[in-house]
Amino acid sequence: MGIVIQAAAYGIVVGAVYGLIALGLSLLTGVMKFLNIAHGSLVILGGYISFWLFKLWGIDTYLSIPLVIIAMFLVGLVLYKLALSPLLKLPNIGMRIDTSMLITFGLVYILDNAMTILWTPNARSVVTSYTGESLGFLGAKFSVTGLLGLGVAILTAVALYFLLSRTYFGKHVRAISQDAEAASLCGINVHRTYLISCGIAIALAGVAGVIIISCYSITPNSGLSWLLISFVVMVLAGEGNIKAILPAGFIMGLLESVSALAVGAPYREVVALIMFILVLMFRPQGLFTKRG
Amino acid sequence: MAINWKKLLIIGLIVAVFIAIPLVMKLRTNIMNLMITLFIYITLSQSWNIIGGYTGQINLGLAAFFGCGVLITHFLWESGMPIYFAVVGGGLSAVILAGIIGLPTLRLRGVYFAIGTFALAQVCRTVVGNTFARMVQMPASYIASYSIVPRYYLALIVAIIAIAVVYFLINSKLGLAMMAIRDDEVAAQVSGVNIFKYKVLALLISAFLAGLAGGVYAFFRLSFMYITAVFSHTWTFEPIMSVIIGGSGTLIGPILGSIFLVVLSEIFALKLGEAHLIIFGILFILVVLYSPHGLVGSVDKARQLLTHINRSISKLRGEIQA
Repeated sequence: MGIVIQAAAYGIVVGAVYGLIALGLSLLTGVMKFLNIAHGSLVILGGYISFWLFKLWGIDTYLSIPLVIIAMFLVGLVLYKLALSPLLKLPNIGMRIDTSMLITFGLVYILDNAMTILWTPNARSVVTSYTGESLGFLGAKFSVTGLLGLGVAILTAVALYFLLSRTYFGKHVRAISQDAEAASLCGINVHRTYLISCGIAIALAGVAGVIIISCYSITPNSGLSWLLISFVVMVLAGEGNIKAILPAGFIMGLLESVSALAVGAPYREVVALIMFILVLMFRPQGLFTKRG
Repeated sequence: MAINWKKLLIIGLIVAVFIAIPLVMKLRTNIMNLMITLFIYITLSQSWNIIGGYTGQINLGLAAFFGCGVLITHFLWESGMPIYFAVVGGGLSAVILAGIIGLPTLRLRGVYFAIGTFALAQVCRTVVGNTFARMVQMPASYIASYSIVPRYYLALIVAIIAIAVVYFLINSKLGLAMMAIRDDEVAAQVSGVNIFKYKVLALLISAFLAGLAGGVYAFFRLSFMYITAVFSHTWTFEPIMSVIIGGSGTLIGPILGSIFLVVLSEIFALKLGEAHLIIFGILFILVVLYSPHGLVGSVDKARQLLTHINRSISKLRGEIQA
């Protein structure tokens, strides 16, 4: 029994990270109708920024989060201006999705290889004074970094939820995700909203990267594996269902850690793919959406 | 369809030249290697062209079908099957893999197919990496009898098959249905095209060609230090890149793109190492954004420009005379 609880403790933390990555992804997909294949690489980039802040200036990982958010927000703005905004000229949404996938797939190559050159292919992680510490709870041991990561992820998700539901900016985002043309006719500055939500989505990826580098380790090519499971989380939650994403992430994380007990940790991606196919076959609208 | 004798003659001549090259002169091995790589790229990019260029479904997991072809061909060949049958076996195994991912994802519109194929490539890489942790290699007797010429011919045959498949496809009812789906899925469905059936058919044909290309690669390479390398996303990215650079949804585009890519990477890879992939990525994004019809499209544009200039010159001349 103890080992199951321990596995669940692991699964909740990793699930929070999946949820955070999937939040950024689904913000991009829902609002702008872009599918960002490079999101995983941006997560890793955020991790490396935090790594550098720690190595060069000795800034603690979790304290570096605001700096990483600012840096990744800027990266998101640049990305939008250079690569994604030309797509808005395309005649229909289907073409926009397809082209954005191709462009961000190219971006994966640029980012991954640039990161390999900058930070070498070795696995990197940050070791702080509290890295090895753990707290006992219900017979399971939570590592301090994991708990901090879990807290940061939940806080970020709640902040994003309030931003989307309580502010004028959030109202704009929701209006645009329903109908961009009508929103534009009502006087919403669509381009500015796109720009800012792209920045926010990439900043969320950066936060996820910080949690990953403090709890686990990163290599320049590990982004795609995180991205893949976050895609599945997005499908589990259902299209455009921002509220359900963090719970879906927890479900995926728990499933992964329990299946790791049964079939072994290297096969976590296989579990994710099977889950993906099952959801598409039986509940293509997602686990949390009521109407079919 | 009417047979265009002039075209047929030109194509026949080109094929004859490629068949004659190893018979007439003894090329250096590195040039032969380059040619075989080129043929594999042509096959792969035509394979992606069928599903991505003609049917409009973005496949981000070509590497899964390619790698599956490599693996199955390798083991069939090792168990004593003649290589030509083993390659076909590799192609069929890729078809089965495509069915597993295609049937659930192609039913739905949107991004699911892209995510599913992408996930498939990643999963294959993980599973194969864990199953075959050792080096995958052929017995010594196979390595001792290595000769480059049969590899060249097999690669040539498979590339010709791929081009022929695309050619006959686009002149058939199946091809028409595929292009209708690409241009407007809803309109095609309303006109009575069974879009699910044709999407799946396009995927299966495409996967079969990718599997064949994998078979050729298994025959060409013999041994693999890291078998996961054949499932790496490079095998998806570079064929997509050659299709887009050449011109997607055309017969000649992927061929031009493959030549461009193989020659360019031969020049760059030696001098720049990892940085050459960065350059490729930037080039790819620029082409997708600013020249979505690729080389073929720019040739058409240049031709239009020329006729336009010609017309205005003759108009000017007419005005001067009058």
